[in-house]
Amino acid sequence: MVKIVSVFGALLSVASALGAQVQPPPPRDSAARADSIARADSLALVKELEALQRAEADTSSTTSAGPQGASNPRLLPDISVVGDFVADLSPEGSTQEDGSRLGVREVELAFQAAVDPYFRGDVFIGFNDAEGVGVEQAYLTTSSLPLGLELKMGRFLMPVGKQNLTHRHDLHTVEYPYIIKRFLGEEGLKGTGFALSKIFAPLGFYQELQMTAVDRFGERPEDLQTDEPINKSLGGLTFSTRLRNYWDLSQSANFELAGFAVTGNREEAFAEEPVDDINAIPVRRTVSGVDLTFRWRPLDRALYRSFILQAEFMNEHRSSVARALRIPCTDACAPAPPPVLVSVSARTHSGAYVFSRYQITRRTFLGARFDYLKDPEYGGDRTKSASAYLQFFPSEFSKLMAAYERFMPPAGSERLNRILLQATFALGPHKPHPF
Amino acid sequence: MLSRLKFILASLAGAALIAAPADAQLRVVTSTTDLYDIAKAVGGNRISATHIGEGYQDPHFIEAKPSFVLQLRRADVWAFVGLDLEAGWMPLLLDGARNSKIKRGGTGHVDVSRAIPLLDIPRGNVDRSQGDVHPLGNPHYWLNPENGRRIARLFREKFTQLDPAGASAYAANERAFSQRLSAAERGWGDELAQIKGKPVVAWHTSWRYLADYTKVNIVGFMEPKPGVPPSPAHLAGLIQTMRRTGAKVIVMEPFYARKTADFVAARTGAKVLILPPSVGGTKAVPDYVALLKHNVEQLAAAVR
Repeated sequence: MVKIVSVFGALLSVASALGAQVQPPPPRDSAARADSIARADSLALVKELEALQRAEADTSSTTSAGPQGASNPRLLPDISVVGDFVADLSPEGSTQEDGSRLGVREVELAFQAAVDPYFRGDVFIGFNDAEGVGVEQAYLTTSSLPLGLELKMGRFLMPVGKQNLTHRHDLHTVEYPYIIKRFLGEEGLKGTGFALSKIFAPLGFYQELQMTAVDRFGERPEDLQTDEPINKSLGGLTFSTRLRNYWDLSQSANFELAGFAVTGNREEAFAEEPVDDINAIPVRRTVSGVDLTFRWRPLDRALYRSFILQAEFMNEHRSSVARALRIPCTDACAPAPPPVLVSVSARTHSGAYVFSRYQITRRTFLGARFDYLKDPEYGGDRTKSASAYLQFFPSEFSKLMAAYERFMPPAGSERLNRILLQATFALGPHKPHPF
Repeated sequence: MLSRLKFILASLAGAALIAAPADAQLRVVTSTTDLYDIAKAVGGNRISATHIGEGYQDPHFIEAKPSFVLQLRRADVWAFVGLDLEAGWMPLLLDGARNSKIKRGGTGHVDVSRAIPLLDIPRGNVDRSQGDVHPLGNPHYWLNPENGRRIARLFREKFTQLDPAGASAYAANERAFSQRLSAAERGWGDELAQIKGKPVVAWHTSWRYLADYTKVNIVGFMEPKPGVPPSPAHLAGLIQTMRRTGAKVIVMEPFYARKTADFVAARTGAKVLILPPSVGGTKAVPDYVALLKHNVEQLAAAVR
């Protein structure tokens, strides 16, 4: 800009100096010619100034004082998409729920933004071939509550254990551990309700207490029908709590230990014959456990070396319930038939997994997981699984994974070798997941 | 009785006054050690400062550890480099801290990049096919001493806004910092003259501001695109470029593996120069002025 002004000023000076030497008025035709020359000079001046402006704009090092103006003037939310593709190359046939060999397991669309000075909004919508479209998560989070509190309202991943808080496509393995799939749900446990958390450090290390109250325990089983809603009373809601403790062991290593529990009613099929369309009663289910995580990542070699060791133990208890079901009756069937006694027996299952992952190059990781549980799908008999993973990250925004699993159900059931490939990619500014 | 009461009240008031400076200290947390050192220089004993990243750490990939949340939850000021340098971890920490003062829009939310004339603002369509591109400009701006002065000025303005009583102290500290920087610049003036225009190769675009200040000419980067590790084809082309331009120095940070740089250096007769990118990156650079002095001198010695 200074250059332009300087050039213009210089030219004006020259023009003035030349003008001071102007001769007496020329004859008329010469005046017209002089006028044309003056106009041409002006045009030349303008062209020279434009060329100077272009030269400044075309510098390879474009400079500007700070980001100019608002970077998001239309106040659009952050929009991101995550695609999760799974190929099942298991030799004995596909082990996927829908039986496919190759499938888009999920596409997740996220919208995230500040709603106003008081709340942040996050919406995650999932698309998949098997289940169509669904609201995976949609919640408001407070921005400025006092006393280190945070309140979340809506649908969210429940703080039950460690890996349940991670979106499936972001796992270090292709699928959730078996204790999560069996005790919480095939795609983990989400809840719709309220979550309150508080951070504190009275003992000098990070602690966070998370408590939730949500509508129900997991998704409603499609084939089960109760005579009344499982959360007819407020006591029928599902409640959870988790106390997270975190320590820095050094700059490179840290350790996390948490205890958690979730309890709520869930539809459970009773053994007796269905009464009308009723084949289930509300039964209290409680899952409790501990999770621990050890991480090592040397700061000066963080791009190339890291290690994580993670384990979770869960205990699932279903209470015993006996109820008298009243058979609906209209005037036509009076007197009303006697109630039918139905029952669900108590059961307890437990299980655990241990997972570790080591970074071998900047973009390549080796992982392994061992699962062990008393499996409700096999009447409480022991199921084991051993799996290995090779992860390659072309960038932060794409992940390729090859997995082998040896699935070992109780004796008498078929053992399986599973070979899975996964490709995951992210478009847009998908925010990082919790540490 | 009344005199005793007056004495007690006066004592309490005196105690409160003595305690006030400690309580009135601004709590400043910065993302990098460079911002930390400049904040300390300007703030002096009127602030207590901590930093999240370490000088020998890649600032793009800091883990959002819960212990950092404890630092942030009582901070009065959160100063960060901006331009998405901290995009991978800052949102988690700010959300976790639940401190409205340091969230976007809060009085203590300080995006330092707003005070900096930026290099490498992309033109045209920007997407990730261009690598780990920073759409708003190159964030590694602290390696130019003029920008160090701008950062100091920004901190002086912010600290004065939040602590008006310290205005004169902050101004004096800023002047002292600028004078210390100017004295150091006079010391390396001759070296700058000798290395002007000399060709060098850099690992990442993080050295652009230092190159802009020293007027060395970066003829190529080890990374084909920002954040993308070198491929054999790219290295072959870079070797040709180095031979053609006479570039004899490869500048890189200590947190990258030097095997590939050594490979290129062996085939071009170049030297691999490991420079700390931030304060505390090595023991030789305990503060901002020392960082710039060290890097300028090392670069000059290498390219001469």
